[in-house]
Amino acid sequence: MGIALQKAISLIMSADSELLNILGVTAQMSLKSSLIALLLGVPLGIWLGDSRFPGRGVLLVLNRTLMGMPPVVCGLLFYMLFSGVGPFRHLKLLFTVKIMILAQVFLITPIVVGAMETYVAGISPAIRETARGLGLKRGKTFLLLCNESLYSIISSYLLAFSRSIAEVGAVSMVGGAIAWKTNVMTTAIMQYTNQGNFSLGIALGMILLALSLLVNIVISLLQRRLSQ
Amino acid sequence: MKKCLSLMLALVMVFGLAACGAKPAETQPATDAPSVQPVTEAPTQAPTEPPAQTGMMVDTCILKEADDKMLNTYTLLAVDPQAPFTDADGNAVSDVAVNTAGADALIQWFLSQEALDLAGNYGFEEYGEYLFYVKDGAPVYSGEIAHATEETRVIRLSTTTSVKDSGLLGYLLPVFESAYGYTVEVQSAGTGKAISAAKFGNADLILVHAKSQEEAFVEDGFARVVEGFQSERISFLYNYFVLCGPSADPAGVKDADSVLDAFAAIADGEYTFISRGDGSGTHSKELSLWPEALGITKDPASFANYTKWYVSANAGMGACLVMAEEMGAYILTDKATFLTFVANDGVMG
Repeated sequence: MGIALQKAISLIMSADSELLNILGVTAQMSLKSSLIALLLGVPLGIWLGDSRFPGRGVLLVLNRTLMGMPPVVCGLLFYMLFSGVGPFRHLKLLFTVKIMILAQVFLITPIVVGAMETYVAGISPAIRETARGLGLKRGKTFLLLCNESLYSIISSYLLAFSRSIAEVGAVSMVGGAIAWKTNVMTTAIMQYTNQGNFSLGIALGMILLALSLLVNIVISLLQRRLSQ
Repeated sequence: MKKCLSLMLALVMVFGLAACGAKPAETQPATDAPSVQPVTEAPTQAPTEPPAQTGMMVDTCILKEADDKMLNTYTLLAVDPQAPFTDADGNAVSDVAVNTAGADALIQWFLSQEALDLAGNYGFEEYGEYLFYVKDGAPVYSGEIAHATEETRVIRLSTTTSVKDSGLLGYLLPVFESAYGYTVEVQSAGTGKAISAAKFGNADLILVHAKSQEEAFVEDGFARVVEGFQSERISFLYNYFVLCGPSADPAGVKDADSVLDAFAAIADGEYTFISRGDGSGTHSKELSLWPEALGITKDPASFANYTKWYVSANAGMGACLVMAEEMGAYILTDKATFLTFVANDGVMG
């Protein structure tokens, strides 16, 4: 462990250009995919939590099943769809960062939807009463719900971010872990582990956790301020 | 005020990270790729052991090498855009995009005298050994090599993990890229997956070292003949696998007459042996060296009776070497990976 920590520190100090590129691609990919998942998942989740209609239960079960989608299966699916012989081959998205983001959005959005739905289903009756009392229309009720669940929205974002930064199964399949282009921290760790270089793998893991910690600290502070 | 401050901090962080990501990938080092190197050269490692003694930490050593039975030939094959590609359901697919111009240029360059000389010298500076030899009778190319155009710039090369881990490509490709303006995207996987990547239309050329699988690839119609060459299979480099084991060498491999005798001795004495078990080129070679009577094949059922000593790891070369070091076992490996393994002191934490 001590050696791994030493390696981690010397890697950061030396500002190895390949490591910087890997960190850059990781940041780019996880920030974008978690943001898109948030933008898609939050409205959907709030709506699902708030509304009551026949078939809502089915949608809920479907969403919860998608939450448990194995990342490697998702990667395989996207690989086959966008492969050189697949139906979407003309888009030429395979082995790019874009398709890694796409695959991650597909994986993470159900989780965000599930998290929001859980919270909103709890506060929905009270909010609806308040809204009725205030004479609010549909749209304004929805905005009121959003405002009340701000804390939960930010927590869902952190959930989405941690899922995307830790993910390896899908991104390695669709991205191909191509050096300088689609290699992210998790795929790099896997490569070094396969080479037998365990301590470097752990060193990179420590750097990844440190990055994650930084993002979590900043956004949690934001969350505390906004909820006061 | 506090709210604004933390909001600004958050925004600065987000932009900082995004800016990191927007950094262009042009800053590639001219030296070889393994980013393990900056770590082993870091001053923090010097106090533990002087460079001359690296290798003392690792007990596994080379016991048998340079036997003709352990020849490992590297071959290039260009993918034919007219090949019988099929999609997941088995339907024929016709308009598969393959960068033939780029694949041609890369293959022609690999077979140029310049590249062959570079490859032949690879490894000497770092390990004091030649890791690759140029094949006798390799068709040296001396014609024109096309420069990259906007359409043909990206070349997708599918190769095996052994080739990638040896560092040869990280050493050779930057020379090619700066001379002709191409960008080579290297995908590495086990031999089987490397070849099927090409069959799925995801590669423009492959670099593998498994003769029977290459021949099957050609027979199925996936390879084509490149301009300036005679055959679809262009073998240009070779090296040897080496049989490694504990320095104590209980099976007496070092004194065996040939590698076949060595394998027979290991099997007779039931000394622990680590097998790749993943259908890779190394694995295929290892399977061919066991005595026929044992009947060891790819199929797990074939070695079910030998699990006491025959360990089918289903892992990469480096991970298997770590296992062999830990268990004091014998293992068949390519020399380049073994030398990297020793240079990094058995790469265990």
